[in-house]
Amino acid sequence: MAFTKRSIVALALLVTFGLPVLDATAHDESKYPDWSGQWRRPRGLATQWDQDKKAGLAQEAPLKPEYQKMLEWSMADQAAGGQGLDTRYTCITNGMPRMMAVIQPIEFVILPNITYVHFEAFMPRRIYTDGRDFPKDAEPSFAGYSIGKWSDTDGDGRFDTLEVETRNFKGPRTVEFTGIPLHEDNQTIVKETLSLDKSNPDLMHNLITIIDNAFTRPWTVDKRYRRDRNVMWFEDNCTENNHHVVIGKENYFVNHEGYLMPARKNQAPPDLRFFTDAPK
Amino acid sequence: MLYRLFAGALILAATLTVAPASAFDESKYPDFQGQWKRKVGTVNSWDETRRPGLPQDPPLTAEYRKRWEASMADQAAGGQGNDSRVTCISNGMPRMMTILRQLEIFIRPEIILIVFENNLPRRIYTDGRDFTAKDNIPSYNGYSIGKWIDENGDGKYDVLEVETHNFKGPRNYEPSGLPLHDDNESIIRERMYLDKSNPDTLVNEITTIDSALTKPWKVVKNYRREKNAEWYEDLCTENNNHVMIGKENYFMSADGYLMPAKKGQQPPDLRYFSTTGN
Repeated sequence: MAFTKRSIVALALLVTFGLPVLDATAHDESKYPDWSGQWRRPRGLATQWDQDKKAGLAQEAPLKPEYQKMLEWSMADQAAGGQGLDTRYTCITNGMPRMMAVIQPIEFVILPNITYVHFEAFMPRRIYTDGRDFPKDAEPSFAGYSIGKWSDTDGDGRFDTLEVETRNFKGPRTVEFTGIPLHEDNQTIVKETLSLDKSNPDLMHNLITIIDNAFTRPWTVDKRYRRDRNVMWFEDNCTENNHHVVIGKENYFVNHEGYLMPARKNQAPPDLRFFTDAPK
Repeated sequence: MLYRLFAGALILAATLTVAPASAFDESKYPDFQGQWKRKVGTVNSWDETRRPGLPQDPPLTAEYRKRWEASMADQAAGGQGNDSRVTCISNGMPRMMTILRQLEIFIRPEIILIVFENNLPRRIYTDGRDFTAKDNIPSYNGYSIGKWIDENGDGKYDVLEVETHNFKGPRNYEPSGLPLHDDNESIIRERMYLDKSNPDTLVNEITTIDSALTKPWKVVKNYRREKNAEWYEDLCTENNNHVMIGKENYFMSADGYLMPAKKGQQPPDLRYFSTTGN
């Protein structure tokens, strides 16, 4: 008889109590929601900030008069062929919160101490869930510094909601392509509550509240993302085929033959004072 | 009776232990956590044991050697040669594995993500797929498939082997413009493992098979782990003063004027403007 009563008891105790302790490094994914796959904007929507309204003035952003004027100028400039306040044509990241408009699909990678949001066209967001506080000396960034907290709102033993707060920004940043501006002080606070729709696990809600000095009050929108399980990733290198060229504060266009062109009617060419053979 | 009771307990306990099937057992994988940087004292040359440029002594075909020499000559004259990073395009593979800045590696059972500070992430699939996968579309990073190996048989993986195919171009290995072939048929093979005598060194043996080479070219990269990790958002386009117009690279001065990037450079052709420059 290979096993005595005592050895079986010892083995049972070891298996019951010992192995889970030895296995302390296991990441129990069953404690976290299933956010796998690729998340996209709902069908038929553009990249407007509030998905329930059209872009631009129809957004009714709670802007202070000074910033409302900036938005109106931006849209007028865009109507005339300019870029207004939208800096994305330079391939700079959209930063937060605009990057969560999900132009191209995104992916969530959930680990115990951090949740990554991967984009096709931007560097990833890091959302720290390890209990840290906002550092005092972190370098400001367009994506900001994000701290998250998981919660089990229905008490079923599994986290279902990720609350995120993001601070410490660089700018300029806008809320959408029309140029809805954020304040130049970059003191924005972005609060997000991410969770799956209770009746449709392939729909994610991201309740995003922006607190910003350009606004008269916090602005909350409900962003919806739809899950695509038929995942296809694309490497979106913005600069690869970017025909916009910024010289000083002017945006020009380079055509398919490589010639510089005006980007708007009657635009003056760049000042070539540093060239010895410049046209007179 | 007692036997049956304890045998039942044993089966139940074993079942309970196995039950969380979705648990990801990190203890099976090597500790690649933290921030990885270039070895102290190395520059961003491809073979880190040699200086960039000619000392690399790459096994290039004669045609590509000429191209490389032209690239270095252009750079000596103020141009950028074959180095396309000036446009903020991704370095792609294999050059991105030189770690210009720093990188982080995430291991999950089905995928490994390599996250850079200034390039889009690499996805290395370890879910058993092959290169016929439908999402295998050409890219600068290529399509990477990895395989974990337990070389010393201790029940824990210690080596990650990766093969990467299906590229876009142009790509090069280092700032001198050391070129890969225009056919983009490169195959990159990597073996990554922790140094046995120093677990804070990650070794990456990289072999490049490319039509611009007369034979496969293997280099060994050593990355050092930085435990005091600090991440920085490195946005290449944020302060890029290079301006590409057609095939010409110009420079923009601090006060926003277009400048020649090399001696005697012609200004851009302004034929599409109705008013002339100053």
